[in-house]
Formats: sequence, structure tokens, C-alpha cells
Amino acid sequence: MKIEMTNIKKSFGNNEVLKSISLTINGGEIYALLGENGAGKSTLMNILGGIHQADEGAIMIDGETAQLHNPVQSQEAGIAFIHQELNLINDLPVYENMFLGREPKTKRGSLDLEKMLHETEEMFKKMNIQLDPRKMVGDLDSSYKQTIEICRAMMTNASVIIMDEPTTSLTDSEIERVFEMMKTLKSHNVGLIFISHKLQEVKRICDRYAVLRDGVLVSEGSVPDVTTDDLARFMVGHDVRTEPLAKERNLGKEVLRVEELTHHPFFRNINFSVKQGEVVGVTGLLGDGRSELFQSIFGADDISSGKIYIDGEEVKNNSTIKAINKGIAYLPRNRKENAIIQDMDILENSSIATWPKFSKAGIINNEWHLKKFEDLKKTLRIKMQDPTDSILSLSGGNQQKVVLAKWLATDPKILILDNPTQGVDVGAKEDIYDIILKLADENIAVIVLSSEASEIIRVCDRSLVMYQGVIQGELIGKEMSDHSIMNLATGGELAEERSEK
Amino acid sequence: MGNEGTAKRSFIQWYKNKWHNDPLFSIFVALIVMVILQTLVLGFDYDSFDGWFESWTSNWINILRNNAGIGIVALGMTFVIMTGGIDLAVGATLVATGAFAMMLIDIGERGLLGLMGVTGVPAIALALVLVLLFGYLLGALIGITITKGMVPPFIATLGAMMIYRSVTQQTMQGYNPQVPTEFLQISGFQIGDLMIMPIIYWLIIAAILYYVSKRTIFGRQIIAVGSNERAARLSGINVDRVKLHVYALMGLLVSIAAIIQVSRVGAMDVSGAGRGMEMDAIAAAVVGGTSMMGGRGFILGTVYGMLIIGVLNNLLNLFGAPPLLSDAFKGFIVIVAILLQRKGKIT
Repeated sequence: MKIEMTNIKKSFGNNEVLKSISLTINGGEIYALLGENGAGKSTLMNILGGIHQADEGAIMIDGETAQLHNPVQSQEAGIAFIHQELNLINDLPVYENMFLGREPKTKRGSLDLEKMLHETEEMFKKMNIQLDPRKMVGDLDSSYKQTIEICRAMMTNASVIIMDEPTTSLTDSEIERVFEMMKTLKSHNVGLIFISHKLQEVKRICDRYAVLRDGVLVSEGSVPDVTTDDLARFMVGHDVRTEPLAKERNLGKEVLRVEELTHHPFFRNINFSVKQGEVVGVTGLLGDGRSELFQSIFGADDISSGKIYIDGEEVKNNSTIKAINKGIAYLPRNRKENAIIQDMDILENSSIATWPKFSKAGIINNEWHLKKFEDLKKTLRIKMQDPTDSILSLSGGNQQKVVLAKWLATDPKILILDNPTQGVDVGAKEDIYDIILKLADENIAVIVLSSEASEIIRVCDRSLVMYQGVIQGELIGKEMSDHSIMNLATGGELAEERSEK
Repeated sequence: MGNEGTAKRSFIQWYKNKWHNDPLFSIFVALIVMVILQTLVLGFDYDSFDGWFESWTSNWINILRNNAGIGIVALGMTFVIMTGGIDLAVGATLVATGAFAMMLIDIGERGLLGLMGVTGVPAIALALVLVLLFGYLLGALIGITITKGMVPPFIATLGAMMIYRSVTQQTMQGYNPQVPTEFLQISGFQIGDLMIMPIIYWLIIAAILYYVSKRTIFGRQIIAVGSNERAARLSGINVDRVKLHVYALMGLLVSIAAIIQVSRVGAMDVSGAGRGMEMDAIAAAVVGGTSMMGGRGFILGTVYGMLIIGVLNNLLNLFGAPPLLSDAFKGFIVIVAILLQRKGKIT
């Protein structure tokens, strides 16, 4: 199947989101659709998925004009859309999920479970997937959920599948599984549209690419002809830095130390310390316990045993309020679930942690917060209109900066950032790195939790690598590499690593 | 000519924008429409403007006074719903605190304060303080069950509803306290020749809670907790404390409603009073734009909502509609109000 989109235009109100875009997608190829948040990728794909209608332009499928006025028409035309947030029911088994919305019935009108199970098994065999269809979806990890979505798309006889950032919430090994699947689909002559921010992955798996910027197609071509730097440059519109950012710094006194910290079953016997002005990375694979560890240090979770010292003083009966008062700030992972208050405006989201600190008789000091936020807005380069706009009016990167502003307003001594660049585009990512280094220069201890080894290597002075709840090893400066980190993260020993050199 | 056309169009544009961006606007428009309708039904069949005005105002004072108690409860309910909770126990708390008030101030043999030798105005003042405290306590007990016991609000307040009312009924069995006439002044005191004290209480409380919801830490933390509890907790908000205070405040407001009711009538029927009050309070809040999912709610909207329901009841009276059908109309209004707001929702 071949999809041709010609001169597609789309506006929302006065906002011109797509300015005459033409694209061609062929069957049997993996097509990367790239661009920063707000570039128009989602709108373009929503038009293809029948969710939005184009103001102008035509869509041709195999040379015939296609009418895609709603998602059903689009599905019937052979286009399947796998959204970033998966549409699966955790409390149903895999095979029933495969048939959601188009369940086969027996003659008596009840669900034909046998047929569902059988067809699912067939599909898994065809796609070479080792998975028991009787398992409950809730018990599966994210990559299998993604796989099920893809199989479901296949069952509707889709010949083009749109995948919106399928790998963002997956670990490396899970990503491999999805990639295998994509290759199988390609061999079955299915066309894949792959939306992603991860340029390494694009480079690895995609055949052709298109880059959108501000609703305009700025570049299109064959993936082997370009480097990831090129792609990043197309997306941002100027050169993007890739050089390491960590540098020699004068470290101050120790601000945080934990001894034998344990919380069953998440982490155990954790010992480390952090000094002023240091940038420490903490990394590992899924289930390493790093988020749980730092949530406990922040007082949001309990500990079973062990001690936490801040400025050499032991913290007992820890709570988030106590931790904040002691100068700890914690930017959580999964912004939408853990950090954003949707019913509040930008200013409130940026000031919620400091309300008690700057108030009189329980009345919020809005003037102070507004002034503070205006300062931080400049430092963090937040792109926004009015502080009283909804937080949801901002792009992912800017939302993240608002959350960061909230914590910087507390004047932290220790800043813990858990996956700070999750769902953030290239430009905002670099801004966040700059801020991390600037804060370190101002003598704040920064702890960066990340699953991306490249991020840790670029920004951190040293890193702790965790494996199943313990610190497997520490890598300092030049010792950090993709290889050494992965070795420790999968349970390898530091000694082996050093003796190999 | 051309200018007029532009002016008309820009008004329509303004109106449309307002409708879409201001969730309270559609409720306010609905209220205005109902007031106009009510005015028309009331008619203009009077000798003079003064005569008409007097009749119109006295009708309005009636509406407001009749709804003041429940209006106060609805304000507390707005906060409760904004945290993502619900309070089914308000009616039961009303009879519990009302009965407690009567037991304290009874001028018969069994009056508690009388037995302790406190009488007259000091007795009433002391009774007021104790009743408010008792209401606060009953609410706080619910709050503790919900936060420390981690019982869902629906279940915790359902249980409290049964316990509070049944214990009150048992305690008050065969007991008819006599309320002193001074106590009746709380609602009955006349300003000029208007009996508007309950309305004044309602307005003062609404004004205070409006300020609380807009400008205080507590008010904004309620929104944060209801909108995203996890994020609120991870931002250093003591979520349990916020919830506990919201339910305690609810109890306090109910006890004020109970005082108004006892001082208006001089008695309270402990088996019948306050039945269905929780549903009316929820209805007022929901009509006023409060989201049952939590996070979104408006004190001003709840005042509008209460007025809409009050005017509706008044209209039904004026029309002479069958009293048994009045709940049907109320249900209808609640659903229509939500439909109006759905249209006005920002997409």
C-alpha cells in the first residue's frame, strides 16, 4: 500500500499548525516522522487516523482519493494508529484484548472465546512471539503491551501502522523486542510510521525520514544518507551540541550521606554520599530501585532500616515536608502522573511547594511568587504566554521547566532529578542540561536519575549504577561509557570491567 | 449601519468566548433566565410599583431564607467534592448537632446547661461554642476514618450517616426539649422589619469561603489534592491533613445549619430533619460547576446552583405543580446544568 498526502493544511483557530505538507509512505518501509513537540507531527497523523480533518489537501491511497472523516473510515482503509498511551484493559486476558470492540460471537450470542484464543495464537505464531495469550494484560511488562497493540493492529488487516513514540516507556531489552516485531512487519510488506525523539533508534531501524518544523516539511530523505546530528539540526533549526558537558569543579563539603539504607523489597544496603557542587548520576535498568531509593530519601516513602544524613545531621521520621525544609528537592519521573496539577495554572504549578514558606496567616503571597517565577522563567527559558494560563497549554519541555521552577523556588541544597528529560524535545533537553551545570556551579548538589546512559555520561561527574536494588558499582569520570554502565546495570562486576582495560 | 453590524457581531463573539472560557458564565446566565421567568410568573398585577416591589422582594427573601441552611452545607460540600470525596453524613450530622444544641439549652428539667447552673444569654453563647465544636468533631471523626483508616469517603460517610442518626434518635427518644425564646433570636432577629439573619450568615460564610478557596494555602491545596493527589504529596503537601480539615470544616458548617434550623423552628424532628440534605447539597455544588472527579469547583458557582434550585422550587409553587413531582424537576435541572457546562468546556 502506498499513501500519498499532498498539500495538507490545517489550522486550529488562528494557529496554522500544518502549512502545506506533502509526504509519501510506501508499504514495506519504516518511515520516521521527526520534529520537536508542537512541530505538527501529531496533527498530521491524526488527520491520517481520521481524528482530525485537513482544511485543504488530499490523501491518496494506492492512487485513489481516500475519505478519512472518522477513525472507523481510516481503519477500514487499512490504517492503524497506536497511540502513545496504550488502549488496553489490564483486567482482561491478552486474547480478549486483541478483539476489543469487534468481539466474535457464537450462534447463541455469547462471546466466542475459543475463536479469539485460537486466532490470537495463530497471530503470535505468525509474528514469532513467545507469549501465552491467556495471561492477564496487567501482568505484562510495557514491551509486551506494545506488542499486543501491534498484533491487534495487524488483525484488523492494517497495511500501514502509525506508532507514536512506542519506545519512550520501554527499557533497552524491551525496545529490542519491539524492533524485532517491526522488522517482521516490514517483511510482511506493512508500512510503518515511526514517531520518535530518539534519533539513535531512528538511525538503527528506519529506512526513510521526514522532519517537520513549525508545520513545514524541512527535510525528507533516506536515513542512511544522514547522521543523527543532521537530524537533530533539521529538527531544531540550528546545530545541536553533543560534546560532554561535565567538567572539573571544586567540590564543597558533604551534604547528603546515606548508610545501609534499606526498604524491602525495593533496595537494600545503600551507601553513598554527595558533595556540594557535584553532579552525580544514578542509572540502571527497570526494577533497579533507584526511583524508590530517592523517593525514600525525599521522605515520600518509608525505609525499613538505615540512616540518612543531611549536612552531617541524621534525619529521623522523614517526610516530604521535612525534606523540603532541609533543602531537598525531588523532581519526579512521569510528569503527568506525579508532578502536574492539571486544574491549576502555570504560576500555581510553579509555586505549590513554596506556598507555606512565603505566606502570612495562611494567605498565599501571590506577588512574591509572581516575581520569583518571572526570574526563573528567564533562567529556565520557559516559552509561555501568561502565568495564569493552564499548565496544559505548554509543551512537554516547558511543563518540565515549570516543575523545575517549582523546585528551584524552594532554594534547594540537594536537587534530585528523576528522568528530567522524559518526553522533552531536543532544544529543551539541552536547556535542562545547562541548568543542571549552572546549579552545580552555584554549589548545589545535583543527582540525576536516568535510564539513558548517554545522558549520564554527558552531564555527570560520576555515576552510581544500580542492579536489582543494590548499587552494583560506581564509575568516575572517564570510566563512564555505554559499555561499562550496561555491564554493571545487568549485574556485571566492576573488577571485571577494570581488569579488561 | 456597518458599525452597528460589527458591534452586534463583536457582542456575539464576546458572549461565545465568555461561554467557552468561563465555566461560571453559563450557570449565571441560567440563573438570570430563571429569575426573569420567575418575575414574569409573579406578574405585574399591582396598584403601584412599590406594591409590586414589596411582593417581589418578600418572595425573594423567602427563597433565600429557606435555602440558607442547606446553602451553607452546600459550600462545605463543594470543598469535600473538590478533594475528590463526598459526604453523605451531612443530614445525620445536622440532627446530631441540632439535638445536641437542644439538649444544652433546654429550659426544662433535663437541660444540660441548666443542670450545671448556666442560664440565660451565657448559656446560649456557651451552647453555640459547644455545638460548633461538636460539629467540627463529628466531621473530624469522618476525616480521620478516611485518612488514617483509608476508608473510601463514600463508605466512611455512609457509615457515619447511619451511626449519627440512629444514636441521636435513641438519645432523643421520648424527650421534648424546650428551646428558650432568646435562642430563637439567632434566626428571628429582625433588621428593620426583615427577618434576614439566616441569609446574612449564608452570605458571610460564602464570602469567607470564597476568599479561602482563592487566596489561602488551604484553599489551593484542596484543588491540588483533588486534581492530582500523588503530585500534591510529592510537592510537600500533607494530603491527609488537608482532607481531615475539609471534613471537619464540613461538620462545622453543618452545625451552623443546625443552629439556624433549631432557632427558626424552635424544635427539630430528629428522624425526619436533614433527610436528603446530602443530595441537595451535592446537587447545588454540581449545578454550580463542581466536578465530581475532584480538582475543579467554585464557591460562587455553588451559591448560583443553590439559587437555581431555590428559584425552581419557588416557580413550581407559583405554578401550583404537584409537590410530589418537585424532585423530578430538580433532577432534570441538575442534568441540564451539566449538559450546559459540557458544551462550555474547553476542548
